[in-house]
Order: sequence, then structure tokens, then C-alpha cells
Amino acid sequence: MFAIVEGQIDVAALISSARRPDCGAISTFVGTTRIDESEEASVEYLEYEAYRPMADRKLEEIGAEIEERWDVREVSIVHRVGRVEPAEASVAIVVASPRRAAAFEASRYAIERIKEMVPIWKREVWSDGYVWVGSQVGTRETAR
Amino acid sequence: MDGVKVLLFGAAADRAGTRETQVPAGEITVEELWLLLAERHPGLSPMRDTLAFAVNGEYARGDARVSPGDEVAVLPPVSGG
Repeated sequence: MFAIVEGQIDVAALISSARRPDCGAISTFVGTTRIDESEEASVEYLEYEAYRPMADRKLEEIGAEIEERWDVREVSIVHRVGRVEPAEASVAIVVASPRRAAAFEASRYAIERIKEMVPIWKREVWSDGYVWVGSQVGTRETAR
Repeated sequence: MDGVKVLLFGAAADRAGTRETQVPAGEITVEELWLLLAERHPGLSPMRDTLAFAVNGEYARGDARVSPGDEVAVLPPVSGG
């Protein structure tokens, strides 16, 4: 499954649906929202936006790239958009493979590719303004 | 509808003050479209070197052709995950 969703990601359901008798490994990567703090302010939540349907298609492309490189039998990538609270999952990647090495490598590959080329952006909303991560554009005094 | 539909995301939407605009243009390149866009939204100019573009939902280089009716997206550095 490749999806961009607005609500919470059901990681357990993704893992459950990746179980197969011909696979001996399911590797799961869950990216969670980390809260940064400075002396005078802290992040309250993150907000993600995506260029759809391009972002959906890019997730599917990553799945196809993985299937070309490794012997995997199930790949799911789910990314959230909208407001994500501290420590919640913003992205989940689940890969099932007959062997663990392929599952580990493929899930690592998926998150690196997401960060490289999927048109999704996040904004840190601080107690004193916001910053677009990667562009350092925003309303915080300290945004460069 | 004449012209090119331009979508802006993230920091680029912030800097332009809009998320969507129509640029009246015939057959041009992405780079030429960018110049028209930067003229109308000068706040975007400092971002030039960080931006990528997509034409009809696929990454495109500066010399890619754009026709009336196409959708061009202005993409700041992605920060998913």
C-alpha cells in the first residue's frame, strides 16, 4: 500500500497485512515527530503538506525501485499530511522479505528516497512562530 | 483557459503570498516561466537556487517546454519523513 493520509497511521495494521508464509522477515521503519527546543521556545507540533497526486506517484515509484533491487514480497509506505503531534508517526514503512537483510536494506532505502525526492514539506510550529524545514523560511525571529 | 497554472508549496507559497496563480504565457520554458513568476512575486527570487520544478506532476529541468494548459509546480527542498 502506498498512501498519503490525514489521520493517524495504524502501524500495527500495516505490519499485520505484510505477514506472508513465504517471508521470514518484516522490517518496519516509523518516523516520528521530534520536538526541538531552544532556550526561549519549543516546537508545539509539525504540519506537513504534499503535492498530490505527484507525491502519491513518487511513493509508488520508490516501491518499484525496491522491487527491482531486492527480493521483497510486500512494501507499504504511508506518509501523513496535516498536523502531527509530538512523538506521533509521520511516516511508516513496512517491508516483507524472505530474508532479513533485504527487508532491513529496503526499508532504509525507502526513507532515504522519501527525504530526497517525494514532494512533501514540513513546517515546525514553535511557540513563537513557524519555520519551513529545509528552506529556513518562516515567521520566527531566529529563522534564517 | 489561457496561460499556465502555477502551484506553489511550502516556503515558496509563503514567499509568493499565494498557493496558486495563473501566468499568461504561450509556449515557453520552465526557466522563462520562472522569470515571469519572480517578476510578479519578487519575494521568491532569493529562493531560486533551492527550487525544483515539476511540469504536469513530473520533475522538469529549466529548459523543459511548457504549454498553455500545463500545470507547473514550484517545489522548495523537500522535507518529508
